[in-house]
Amino acid sequence: MENKINKNDYVKMIIISAMLVLIGQWVGKGINPIEALPGIIIISIVVVLGLFLKHIIPFNFPAFAWVTLLALVFSLPSTPGSNIFMAYTNKVDFLATTTPILAFAGVSVGNKIDLLKKLSWKLVIIAMIVFTSTFFGSALVSQLVLSMQGKI
Amino acid sequence: MKNLSRLVVTIIAIVIICELIGAKSITLGPGKLVLLPMLYAVIIGMLVTPKVLGNKIGVLKKLIGEEEIKNSGSFVMISLLFLGVKYGTLVGPNILKVIEAGPALLLQELGNLMTPVIAVPLAIMFGLKREAIGACVSICREPTLGVIGEKYGMDSPEGNGVLGTYMVGTVIGTIFFGFLGSLAINTGIHPYALAMATGVGSGSMMAASSSALAASVPAQMKDTVLAYAATSNMLTGVTGIYSVIFLAIPFTNWYYDKINKLRSKGGK
Repeated sequence: MENKINKNDYVKMIIISAMLVLIGQWVGKGINPIEALPGIIIISIVVVLGLFLKHIIPFNFPAFAWVTLLALVFSLPSTPGSNIFMAYTNKVDFLATTTPILAFAGVSVGNKIDLLKKLSWKLVIIAMIVFTSTFFGSALVSQLVLSMQGKI
Repeated sequence: MKNLSRLVVTIIAIVIICELIGAKSITLGPGKLVLLPMLYAVIIGMLVTPKVLGNKIGVLKKLIGEEEIKNSGSFVMISLLFLGVKYGTLVGPNILKVIEAGPALLLQELGNLMTPVIAVPLAIMFGLKREAIGACVSICREPTLGVIGEKYGMDSPEGNGVLGTYMVGTVIGTIFFGFLGSLAINTGIHPYALAMATGVGSGSMMAASSSALAASVPAQMKDTVLAYAATSNMLTGVTGIYSVIFLAIPFTNWYYDKINKLRSKGGK
């Protein structure tokens, strides 16, 4: 299913993804790419660390969860240097990181559209019911617990 | 992985087009629907592939082929990590709020069991048999796919069911959750509760629904919404697979049999 990816490919993909974020926020938000460069480099380093941890720790924790956890720790107010970490990474817009992901995601499902056409329309409707009930199931439990705690 | 240039040129073009259009909000009845650049990106991305428009438009045919489609999959994984870092930076500074909300964050994972409760009876009504168990056990991302595949085999009815929901999620999941995140605010459920619900265990679906949600709430709630979403998604990443194995699969099986018994009784 996966194609073989070596270290060089990872480096290439990280650099390209970083560049796409810079282009996106330059066009969309007018953020100067040079100004955002240190921030995106810091983020890229965290990405590399996350991939590395996923690779060496034999516990099934996805790289996405690793990088979130690392960035969480680096941005804790009590972590030394967190203010510098935040000042630079704040130059990278949150939403600008999402556009390239979804562009790739769209292309990557391109050859699966036939498969979807083959699925019965019933399964498509059932899947949407599944998504909706997962979402509202969690939302209702959260609403209940948060209001019992008096948080909302 | 060689010759990435055609894919990269295509994606740069898509990103520029989507960012130029920018976020739009459409008033829809009592609420509003927020359309973010990522939504246009996934749609344009699908459109440029050979099976959709690619074969009809010469330039696209040259740009996107099998190789590019395959590499896109790897790129999704890497570019998601940049978003993961941004999510982490939203949780860190808000850590106290997140810890205070801990009980809700943990318990809402059980809300996922609502999925079979609602979906199984409807699936049976639609005429599905044991496919219903696979299709409705959870939102069927990779961990569930793996567990069901191992337990029943991918070519079993349960396997077909789980594959169906997985496929639909892969193709339209982000779009669907983007709409849910943006429209759900009109139900009167608190944005913080909705934020926790967006962490369904898929990075891109969570991103789509939580950023749409964040765009429709008052500005001072935005960071908390994104922090809860990221934490909830992280927790689902850890607990999700166990809750499928130990809770959702046994429960869905029991519930499926129960409904069928009731139906056959009622039928006679």
